[in-house]
Amino acid sequence: MKNLKKYLLLLVVLSALISCSKDDKDPVANNITLHFNNTFKSNTIVLGDAASTTATTNTSAEGQVHHFSELKYVVSNIRLIKADGTEIPYNINDLDKGATVVNQAKTETLDYTLSNIPSGEYKQIKFGLGVKQELNMLDQTKFPTFYANAGANETEMMWEWGAGYRFTKLEGFYDSDNKEMSIHTGSTIEGEEGAYTQGVDAYRDITLNLTGNVVVGRNAPKITIKADFDKLLSGKTNTIKLTTGTGMNDNATPNIHTAVQMTKFVDNLGGDGSSDITGMFSIDGVEN
Amino acid sequence: MFSSLIDTGMKKVFAILSILFLLQSCNRDDIVQPVSYNNPQLSLNIPTGFPALNNSVNANKPTKYGVELGEKFFQEKRFSADNTISCASCHHKSNAFADNNALAIGIYGRVGLRNTPPIQNMAFMQFYNWDGKILQLEKQPLVPIITHEEMNSSILEVIGKINDDKEYKELSRKAFGDENISPERIYKSIAQFGYTLISANSKYDKVQRNEGEVFTESEARGYQTFQHKCGNCHSTALFTDQSFRNVGFPLNPNTDEAGRARVTGVPADYMSFRVPSLRNIEYTAPYGSFGQFPTLRSVLDYFDHGVLDADNLDPVLKENGNRIPLTEQEKEDLIAFMKTLSDSSFVGK
Repeated sequence: MKNLKKYLLLLVVLSALISCSKDDKDPVANNITLHFNNTFKSNTIVLGDAASTTATTNTSAEGQVHHFSELKYVVSNIRLIKADGTEIPYNINDLDKGATVVNQAKTETLDYTLSNIPSGEYKQIKFGLGVKQELNMLDQTKFPTFYANAGANETEMMWEWGAGYRFTKLEGFYDSDNKEMSIHTGSTIEGEEGAYTQGVDAYRDITLNLTGNVVVGRNAPKITIKADFDKLLSGKTNTIKLTTGTGMNDNATPNIHTAVQMTKFVDNLGGDGSSDITGMFSIDGVEN
Repeated sequence: MFSSLIDTGMKKVFAILSILFLLQSCNRDDIVQPVSYNNPQLSLNIPTGFPALNNSVNANKPTKYGVELGEKFFQEKRFSADNTISCASCHHKSNAFADNNALAIGIYGRVGLRNTPPIQNMAFMQFYNWDGKILQLEKQPLVPIITHEEMNSSILEVIGKINDDKEYKELSRKAFGDENISPERIYKSIAQFGYTLISANSKYDKVQRNEGEVFTESEARGYQTFQHKCGNCHSTALFTDQSFRNVGFPLNPNTDEAGRARVTGVPADYMSFRVPSLRNIEYTAPYGSFGQFPTLRSVLDYFDHGVLDADNLDPVLKENGNRIPLTEQEKEDLIAFMKTLSDSSFVGK
């Protein structure tokens, strides 16, 4: 009987050892961290109020100097494309587990960890700037975490009247007299995809080719995604000159909260969905 | 002998099975419609000549207890973060469910973007709000609940406050079959209540229906002028064609405003607003999307003197030199006519 116990103990120890040695081999899955580097061209943005001397400034193609006091955007619908073309969706229908608000003022939001990504080589990443229409409801019951995160006072990523989320929220100042700029984007569409009855779709799908394959396995790679906000005013689709006023074409504040001028900014930030599928985004680097 | 034994056995099994099956079916029915027999659908008294119902009404037909629950929610101040503001705080029955403020005032005295619209004949509208953002009434209740300037709350915060309320539980059970207060049930019941708010019993209606009332001379002249100079947009039995138009009214200085264009992104919709119904217009002063006109007279004077020009100014106005010319007599008569659209039974006066 004593012997039997010993054998049992030995077996347990052995099996524990075996499991350990298994861990040394490639795991079936690991994490990928997405790091968002928000820049004006190659300079990482420092936020600042109107009188700030430390804020990063930028000059647009139209010659307008500007800087931001607030910079936020929603990333969701993340998909990773393997070297063989297989698409690995990351909680694409769950805003609580698969969407995040990148907020330049909160360092911890600049890194977003994708957990349990199947091991293998990846060549491409796709994600949405904003929230796709079928999930873009302020549904607190379905996605309480994302709702709370987006609705928090310091975040303000809800568009109450549109009954959906804000996709980007940029506050700042422009020209030498530091006029206010306030650019919010979000969808106002109604109806089902392919049969929208009214409104503007501000969701943009981004596709980025990774610079060198990302290898998930023993290591948990980090992908740095650059969001170059120089493109906001000097984009691939539109060159925008900010003007302040209450006219239809005045775009700096905040009738830009309205859909008339919004689409131009959306196309610059997130691409036009056809000829430009990267918008302001690019891959800054990959660490395996 | 042996085979008949099996037979009997089989028969018994079958009998038991069918009984089980029946029991199951019964159970199922119980789950689906446990109280349908005592929560009757209300028949909407659709007035003659009214436009077609919004499709959503057919998917959410008002029931006795659904409406009762919705009306109670409509009065519920716990919908707001500090328990001070209900739907009825801005939508007064005596004002055809509008109020007399230029701009809506919500929680902590916060001032909204626009004038509170009346709630009447909702079942026949295809667009809600000044900009037509909402197309189904069921989607409306959440908006004020979460809006910073209105109730500044969230649907789960609201439910957390009211779901132990015995009256709500009871009404929820009667209306929907169990005591659970879900977001969906809140939206649906408030919409059901909204659908029942039908106003079609004004003097105008009684004249049209030949119920013995007759227009005064002034009202009759006003009706003539109205048909000639206003009826283009304020058409149908609702006195709105539900189109969106820029009529060159003074512009809301709030830079959040763009009218219908806020929703559509179409420049031609810039500062266009839904043509308001004129029913019960006597009760809903001030007028305009941000209450820019204190009286009906001031609206008519404005049209007479000339409106703001705009690229997308309504063609009807453009063709007439950006104005609707009106004589003093015509203005008086028009106002007399518009007052025949007052439905005192609807506002409880």
